[in-house]
Amino acid sequence: MREKTSQLTGHMERLPAAAATASDGTSSGNSVFLRAAAFSRPDGASGSYGDIVVSGDAVLPVLPALAELLPAGGLARGSVVAVDRSGLLCLALVAGASAAGAWCGVAGVPDLGVVAAAGLGAAPARLMLVPDPGPGWPQVVASMLEACEVVVVRPPARPQAEARRRLEGVLRRGGGVLVVAGEWEGAPVRLRVTRRSWAGIGDGYGSLRACRAEVVAEGRGAVTRPRRRWLWLPAPDGTVAPDETAAADLSFRGSAVTGEAARAAAAPRRAAR
Amino acid sequence: MKAPGQAAGADEPARVLAVWCPGWPEEDASGAEARAFGEVITVVEGFCPEVEILRPGLCLLAARGPARYFGGEDALARQIAAAVTAHGVVCHTGVAAGQFAAALAARAVRPDSTGVVVPPGGARQFLAPYPVHVLAAPALAGQLARLGIRTLGDLAALPARDVASRFGAEGTAAQRVARGQEARRLATGPPQADLSAMLEFDPPVHAEPAVFAAKGLAEQMLAGLASRGLSCARVRVEVTGTDGRESTRLWRHDGLLSALAVAQRVRWQLDGWSPGSAEDGPDESVCGIAMLRLVPDHLVPDEGRQLGLWGDDLISGRVERAAVRLQAMLGHESVAHPVLAGGRGPGEQVMLVPFGDIRDARHPADRPWPARIPPPAPATVYPVPRPARVIDAAGVPVTVTGRAAVSASPDALTVGDSPWLAITAWAGPWPVTERWWDERNATRRARFQLVTEDGIAWLAAVELGRWQIEARYD
Repeated sequence: MREKTSQLTGHMERLPAAAATASDGTSSGNSVFLRAAAFSRPDGASGSYGDIVVSGDAVLPVLPALAELLPAGGLARGSVVAVDRSGLLCLALVAGASAAGAWCGVAGVPDLGVVAAAGLGAAPARLMLVPDPGPGWPQVVASMLEACEVVVVRPPARPQAEARRRLEGVLRRGGGVLVVAGEWEGAPVRLRVTRRSWAGIGDGYGSLRACRAEVVAEGRGAVTRPRRRWLWLPAPDGTVAPDETAAADLSFRGSAVTGEAARAAAAPRRAAR
Repeated sequence: MKAPGQAAGADEPARVLAVWCPGWPEEDASGAEARAFGEVITVVEGFCPEVEILRPGLCLLAARGPARYFGGEDALARQIAAAVTAHGVVCHTGVAAGQFAAALAARAVRPDSTGVVVPPGGARQFLAPYPVHVLAAPALAGQLARLGIRTLGDLAALPARDVASRFGAEGTAAQRVARGQEARRLATGPPQADLSAMLEFDPPVHAEPAVFAAKGLAEQMLAGLASRGLSCARVRVEVTGTDGRESTRLWRHDGLLSALAVAQRVRWQLDGWSPGSAEDGPDESVCGIAMLRLVPDHLVPDEGRQLGLWGDDLISGRVERAAVRLQAMLGHESVAHPVLAGGRGPGEQVMLVPFGDIRDARHPADRPWPARIPPPAPATVYPVPRPARVIDAAGVPVTVTGRAAVSASPDALTVGDSPWLAITAWAGPWPVTERWWDERNATRRARFQLVTEDGIAWLAAVELGRWQIEARYD
């Protein structure tokens, strides 16, 4: 692993300035592809990038709260991330890249909550939506990947092996990231929400304010052992934040809890009494 | 001898008659309104063959020629208004020098419901009391208002040089408008070269491929203009059918026309003219589209700044190309771009605009919306609410009275045909009475938030005893 990384870094350093300047995430199309090409060439590796830990260029930024869950610390270019049963987690995954200037495509999600995405930091002006891609969705997604750094897709049917391989090929060549809302066999990273509890709402009063959710990341390579994190998904201000109250609860130290999140968390407890 | 139009100085723009149909659904997403407006245009074309369509609901024509023929500007305005009204569409007309003043004159309806005719040289005086916010430049208008320049009269009175140095090309254009002049000096003289772009279809095609080709054609036309440092505010679209029928229409844009905006207008024109329409019968092969020609008009020096255009987010060529390719694959409306808008319900807060179209939000997002659902926003918003059932512990459907009292605590929820889920927490009802003044669109419902045993929260609404799920917090 370490060897691979250093090898890769070496290749990166030898690249012309054009690729290096493209590290701010707001780069234009050409430099994006330049960078992607630089990434996919070095050792001719055709395997998944989920098991290569690289920093900087080869990953798209994610919201800080999600970075710990992902083996690359972000969305590894050329890879697939599968998200199970959480619309907001899908949006949160792409919000960081979108806020950093990336274009995001969304295919097959006619019920996308654009307001929620904007609340997480995604830029609606850089969203391309194809609510109904139809049976030819793999082709649609491939076309979207030419324009967008990240594409979220909810396949209308269980993806066939052939379609999967084709799209994985497109990803490796183009350096995009595919976030799949649903099943994707062989995805290097799979995220799912296992438990959640809502704060601010009681038995006939209050309103939804925030949600504590346990997110589990599983996958192949570096993520063979599942990582678990308690997150505010969403926090009272609509963003995503690590849930410190959960850590505090585990260590039986309630006094560490401060701020808005703690008050929100306290609400249902008061309600219970 | 001087013609009356020239009396006020050579800089005064030509006399323009504006036809305004109030209440036209300008932002309808379907494009059907553009087609329906075609009928109004046909009526107006009976008076003057060259009609410029600013947007559905508002069109302009040069008043000078037809006014002579129909017995004066006032008489012309009345006759056009009467003809359109006889067609079943409410319509006001106004005449002034320049399109901006004319459009406002049509809105300044007199008590006898005829439009205003602003006399030659009177445009500046007519415009003076209007607030600066009538300019299609909200950012500039905001700046001006904060500086105490509240009306067009105030703006017109400022020294032109100071306006230019403080507000740039946009400010100069705005001041010229406020002074009753054209926003930009027209590029003088006819263009030396033929700047139009033409495409012959062999074999003939139908509307959708023609629109696709129009995007490329418009790019070609604009590239030709750009190489001469010009831009156009108006484009003439000429379509010739295989049966020899022709359709020629002038389209103006509030800003400068982009390639996609031109293609969009070609689509509107073809929708209204479609050879496949019912009157021509189903035999489309007889009347395909044989030729498409775009002629730039109203050439202006390209000053690099567009007035009143959507957003600062320039779409890069890479994204635009992919969008065009996807639109060719799936249809124009299938590739969209969200615009945040105002509204109370989660579905009302977003408008999907097809890529390449320019449309402002129906209701601005930055206004307060009392009784809006409190944040956080749901991650899943159903385009069409899903039917649901909610029962109390005794298995009886939960209802809400007119006084917003709940019959019993909600106990279980089923969405569509999915299995019943126990409700672990709930809040509501929040009554919403929207648009009570409008019988057709009025709604009276109560909203709830429900949390079910699987940890998912739902935004539900009950209207006339029927439960619906509007959104899901997942």
